[in-house]
Amino acid sequence: MASVEIRNVFKAFGSTEVLHGVSVDIQNEEFVVLVGPSGCGKSTLLRMIAGLEEITKGDILIGGRQVNNLPPKDRDVAMVFQNYALYPHMTVFDNMAFSLKLAKAPKAEIQERVQRAAEILNLSDYLERYPRQLSGGQRQRVAMGRAIVRDPLVFLFDEPLSNLDAKLRVQMRAEIKALHHKLRTTVVYVTHDQVEAMTMADRIVVMHDGIVEQVGDPITLFDTPDNLFVAGFIGSPAMNLIPGRIGRRDGRVWVEARAGVRLPLRPNAPGQQGQEVVYGVRPKSFQIAPSPGDDTVDMTVGVVEPTGDEIEVIAKVAGEQVCAVFTDRLALKPEQTVAVRPQLDSVHLFDAGSGKRLVA
Amino acid sequence: MTETRQGASYADTRRRPGFVAALYIYTSLFVVAAIVLIPLVTTALGGFKTLGELRVNPFGLPTDWQWANYWDILVSARYWQMLGNSLLIAVLTVFLTLAVASMAAFTLAHVHFFGNRFLMNYFLLGLMFPIATAILPLFIRIRDLDLLDSYMGVVLPQVAFGLGMSILLLRNFFRNVPRELFEAAFVDGSGYIRFFWYITLPLSRPILATVGIIAFVHSWNSYIVPLIMLNSQDKYPWPLGIMIYQGEFSTDWQLVLAFITLTIMPTVIVFFAAQKHIVAGLTAGAVKA
Repeated sequence: MASVEIRNVFKAFGSTEVLHGVSVDIQNEEFVVLVGPSGCGKSTLLRMIAGLEEITKGDILIGGRQVNNLPPKDRDVAMVFQNYALYPHMTVFDNMAFSLKLAKAPKAEIQERVQRAAEILNLSDYLERYPRQLSGGQRQRVAMGRAIVRDPLVFLFDEPLSNLDAKLRVQMRAEIKALHHKLRTTVVYVTHDQVEAMTMADRIVVMHDGIVEQVGDPITLFDTPDNLFVAGFIGSPAMNLIPGRIGRRDGRVWVEARAGVRLPLRPNAPGQQGQEVVYGVRPKSFQIAPSPGDDTVDMTVGVVEPTGDEIEVIAKVAGEQVCAVFTDRLALKPEQTVAVRPQLDSVHLFDAGSGKRLVA
Repeated sequence: MTETRQGASYADTRRRPGFVAALYIYTSLFVVAAIVLIPLVTTALGGFKTLGELRVNPFGLPTDWQWANYWDILVSARYWQMLGNSLLIAVLTVFLTLAVASMAAFTLAHVHFFGNRFLMNYFLLGLMFPIATAILPLFIRIRDLDLLDSYMGVVLPQVAFGLGMSILLLRNFFRNVPRELFEAAFVDGSGYIRFFWYITLPLSRPILATVGIIAFVHSWNSYIVPLIMLNSQDKYPWPLGIMIYQGEFSTDWQLVLAFITLTIMPTVIVFFAAQKHIVAGLTAGAVKA
């Protein structure tokens, strides 16, 4: 078990730079998820930790030891690949024992460690089978078993669930999290799925275009996104972002969006008169108001999608498409205009130019 | 054909070829089969005839079956010795070809180094270079190595000239081994050599069988190299053995035919036994399985 320090790491493929100075500190026993859209460099960063890609500039330390020039086998890391990468000609037992055999561990120890890993992962009945005789979820477990038997300093997961169907993905998500609780090994986990990131991580690293946008625990990222990218990326459905200008008069503050629509803000909201901003409000932060007022805004309903326990409404506010989610069973109809009240405490303001969060 | 009816009923729902198409298919298959089978059958039957009958009735069934032709060859020590020589040379050729070509192909497929492509193309050039054109320099080189009249003097040139094709086939197969397997093995603690031994070779059985059989058949039928390199009769492989039946003034054709039939029999048997592997190996990598 060990910490992982990533210090100002750059990566270039030829003349194309894909990581522009990434720094992340991962604590011992921590479950850290690297998340971002495809092409953001998260997998490259993981592969650099594993030693499968060279580091162009910067340092990576595992357990306080610089590993820049160490080959993967000397880094004491285990990796689970997206398509499992099981050795097709070996049984489940041999797949899991392979690294120990290479390390010339005694037979009895190999036997014992594989058995124990198989018990943890419910694979004891499948040890003599070949990967082709297993289902997707079982193969995924074998891939994890191969990592577990080695008892490495760090587990690296590269989008391990993206080949599974939705139901199995939810199940395996819980299994991986439970496994982490049991083993308490440091985990670095890459995914493009922000739901996976939110549900599994102790801390999330949001990456975009080769830089780290924000690092924090799931709730912090959700409640106080640092910038427009994180605001739009974390949360499902995504946060509604409406551009406008700050207006102030008589102690009242608002954002004036297109066509003079006023979006309410709390009185102590940051920002100067006339500043160009983006007004961010989460779909669940809207409440239906009985009548229009200073703290409400008109919403024109477009599509109503009941999901059973809530209603998702695609609507227009100030000419912008927004999404609102209500837990009440409202009888909303298309083309209907209703007054909604954004919860002022959970309204986010971002500078339109820099995309940075405005802080009071 | 609907999506839902696929599976068990797939074979029934496939459109049957019309009469003209069927006629065409059977005719062309028949012609191809005839081209292969007629010489084989003629050779086998010719071995049962007398020389006189062979002259007047080369293709038909023998009127009087001369079992003695085959029997005399089968009980002669020479036949078995030549078969043994051929087998030894072929096995050595296969072994060396597989060992050298698989290692070279692995390097060319997986290791990026300066001149990788150039070296590959250099090996491929060997494909365009028939062994007969190089026979004189080859003879001189083998003589200088002091390998004349030895099995290795035949085996080494055969291996060398088989490398181009073998490396080409093996490399294309190795390149299709998923990259993730290599990375997984790398993280698991193996290097190139152990990856080659524990992962690549076991996964490459079909292509190794193909290359091995091609090398075997090639060596089995090889005539010019042993003819030039070997002097003592007790080292002759079977293609040279036929020469005993060719006298200065006459040739015992019926014995030649019987001899050929008996000596190609092992290759035919091996081919049928390994047929599945050969076809799988030749088409491997052509489409994603």
